[in-house]
Amino acid sequence: MSFQSKILDELKAIVGPDRVSVSPEVCLAYAFNPFWGRDIIVKPDIVILPKTPEEISQILKVANSYRVPVTPKGAVGGGGHGGPLKGGILLDLSLMDNILLIDTANMKAIAEAGCSFFKLSQEVFKRGMLLPTAAYGSGPSVAASAIDPAYAFGGTRYGGNINLVEGLEVVLPSGEIVRVGSMAYLDSEFGPYHRYITGPDLVGLFTRSNGAFGIITKVAYRCLRKPKFWAFKAFAWPRDRLKECIHAAAEATSIEVFDIHFNNRARWELKPNGPKIPEDLYFVLTIAINGFNELELRGREKEVEEICESYGGRYLPEVGEDFHAIWPCDFLPEEKILPPRYSLPAKIPRSYVFLFDELIHPLSWMPQIYEKMSELCAEYGLSGLVVDGFILNNLCSSTQFTISLNDSDPDVVKRYRQCQNEFRKWFLERGGTFQYRLPPYVPDKVWTNQLGAFKILKKIKGLLDPNNILSPGTFELFEEVEADE
Amino acid sequence: MSREHLREYLKGYRESWTICMQCASCYYRGPIVPHNWRELPPFEWASPHRKCPSYEYFKFRAFSPVGRGNLASIVFDDPNFPITDELVRVVYTCTSCKTCSEICKAHDPWTIIWALKEELIRRGARLPNPLPKLITNIDSYGNIFGAEKPPAINMNIPKKGEEILFTGCFIRFIQPNLIEAIVNIFGKMGLNLAWLGDEEQCCGFLPGQHGDIQRMEMQAQKNVKRLREAGAQRIIVSCAHCYKTLRDYYPKLVDNFPFEVIHVSEMYARLIESGKMRFARRVEEKVTYHDPCFLGRHSKVYDEPRLVIENVPGIKLEEMDRRRKWALCCGSGAKAVYFCYPEFSSAISRERLLEAKEKANNLVTSCSSCIFQMDRAAKQNNIGINIYDISQIVARGLGIPSIV
Repeated sequence: MSFQSKILDELKAIVGPDRVSVSPEVCLAYAFNPFWGRDIIVKPDIVILPKTPEEISQILKVANSYRVPVTPKGAVGGGGHGGPLKGGILLDLSLMDNILLIDTANMKAIAEAGCSFFKLSQEVFKRGMLLPTAAYGSGPSVAASAIDPAYAFGGTRYGGNINLVEGLEVVLPSGEIVRVGSMAYLDSEFGPYHRYITGPDLVGLFTRSNGAFGIITKVAYRCLRKPKFWAFKAFAWPRDRLKECIHAAAEATSIEVFDIHFNNRARWELKPNGPKIPEDLYFVLTIAINGFNELELRGREKEVEEICESYGGRYLPEVGEDFHAIWPCDFLPEEKILPPRYSLPAKIPRSYVFLFDELIHPLSWMPQIYEKMSELCAEYGLSGLVVDGFILNNLCSSTQFTISLNDSDPDVVKRYRQCQNEFRKWFLERGGTFQYRLPPYVPDKVWTNQLGAFKILKKIKGLLDPNNILSPGTFELFEEVEADE
Repeated sequence: MSREHLREYLKGYRESWTICMQCASCYYRGPIVPHNWRELPPFEWASPHRKCPSYEYFKFRAFSPVGRGNLASIVFDDPNFPITDELVRVVYTCTSCKTCSEICKAHDPWTIIWALKEELIRRGARLPNPLPKLITNIDSYGNIFGAEKPPAINMNIPKKGEEILFTGCFIRFIQPNLIEAIVNIFGKMGLNLAWLGDEEQCCGFLPGQHGDIQRMEMQAQKNVKRLREAGAQRIIVSCAHCYKTLRDYYPKLVDNFPFEVIHVSEMYARLIESGKMRFARRVEEKVTYHDPCFLGRHSKVYDEPRLVIENVPGIKLEEMDRRRKWALCCGSGAKAVYFCYPEFSSAISRERLLEAKEKANNLVTSCSSCIFQMDRAAKQNNIGINIYDISQIVARGLGIPSIV
């Protein structure tokens, strides 16, 4: 019996034959995301659909005994990628999608790893509470939002989804099932009431871990009270007034508005039937403001207007409402919005792809970052640059750049990758970090500006996962960094 | 105009998949939009929790719209990509229900999957059994069943006329009594329907929907020629598959397609609204209505069948949660799923019938494939529910003996 058929038999014995596949076609469907460019295809060898933490525990024990890499994935993940770097087992957690608890008295919610963040968000909303909503699309799973943080609408006031994670259930590489943070109290009479236990906070070990320290099977969230009053505003600045626009964003952030997005005008050109940005204006802030009573709302609205106008921003009626309160969400345009292939600003066939998703940097550096990106795009002949900055409560931005390109043209793809590499180098030299640290999108240089932290992480990884089976691409870069030293 | 027109149309979709964000809205369980801070989404955007029948059955991403789309983008770009039986299984287990395209209007995943089927046929893919045999039957006998003659009808229906009933293979060979019911209904309204009878050919839906555009075109040419010779001006169709094919594809495949194509439910609704159709009998039943995929999502006919049912005195219509644009497939899966993957097909039907049974003991629909599929599944799964075609309900309301 071959090595592969032996491991396959053991995995089938755990989950049953219908929830394991080695079919090349089935595996290929998990292997890439066109939005990141189809020149990168990383295919798992085996896909498994577990339904319980106990099944995952047994799977990890088998994987450890054969030293086979394991990568977890929800339905979306990593801007839709989340595929393994080195083949092996892909754990598709989409079937673990139950909401286990919504506690309105204590404002807590617990869901299984594969539950859609939108599903949890809606159920919480129905009960008078709020979870800032993950990005634009149908949403990553709750676990993906915790291990590969999704910066949400609402990040300006509350930070990322990750900041609301209070507890986790995790299957360690050894197969041991542990509960950290508030989940440690799950079976007590008090319930999952508090992130902190008597001792160090272990939740942070697994958040943003990209699944490298353990497979998250349950996530406990702290919920927010749903504000009753909402307003959506937009202000715009000319091309040569970027600094003023960013100053206004910073001041508005400090008064705790719900959400600020920073965009260039190309973002609106993606939707030809949406609101128009006047020709003389270029950068736009869309600002969501809320309040628990009308007075609070009006007070914040007035403050925002004064801040933006003091920096020369021009008020654009309707744009803010369109951005924040449309049906449906941004990537599911209504019939009035033409398919993107017809509406790309650069009119280039085939594609609209990420250059970066997402760069984390101080908000004050936005002007230099935008200008550098624009300069590099011009140098490499790339067009249709769209910027989408998610302004966070700590005066940082999680910034996304997309462009239009024909990804069937190898020369264009080559220039696209060169542009990415050059920007990445520039950005990391200044201390930038990446939301998505998945190789191959963010290769080796990612660790070089945070070496101290990575050395201790490497030791922990060695202790928890001596065979380096979990998301091995994430930390194998240690070896390269060490070799460079 | 020719099949090249349709091919060009499908080709246009090949490029759009490269900009799919992979947001998974097309299949991921849960809402496609949770709220807009102030309120929950309206019906228009309140998608069902479970969206894609094949994903729900097979569970792997490859069997979802986004998974098939990813495979499509590779197949389109790589002329040497191996066309395996497994690839064919992944693609042909799509039920063509088109829910994904209601969710994602940006990329229209169903049309991409159709384009992929067309590409697989072009590359000589070995189709799942018994599809090749069914298609050969169309060539040899003019119907998918390979039958020499349809069952006899106990009435004389003229073969020529301005208003021609197009029945399709399922009604002609499996539900022939429905022909009599429909002709009688229209007769009572003063409309003398003609019917091509043995001259009628399969509409070409089955090969067309599964990528064989050339065969659909051949069937279109044959049928249009005969309809012209019969003096047709308006074609009245009862099967939702035939209706979609004749209404939307024939005009793309045949030069100068001069006919109005109308579904029986639309015709009944017109007659009710003009005051010509008045129901004499009460039908004291609580019913629920199943939107056939090819009448609903594919053709956008939602209101007319409901108008008809609600105008029959005594009938109480109880809607299912998954209705109109969010209705679940009956399990027929554009016929290929029914013929090629019967267990999967039956599982979908069971889910739909149990959903219907929660609302009523009587289910009304407007497609011969749905009726056949659900009636069979109700018996197989021991679910006590009566399945009716909308014409049967109309016949009862008009006091015409329903003999189906």
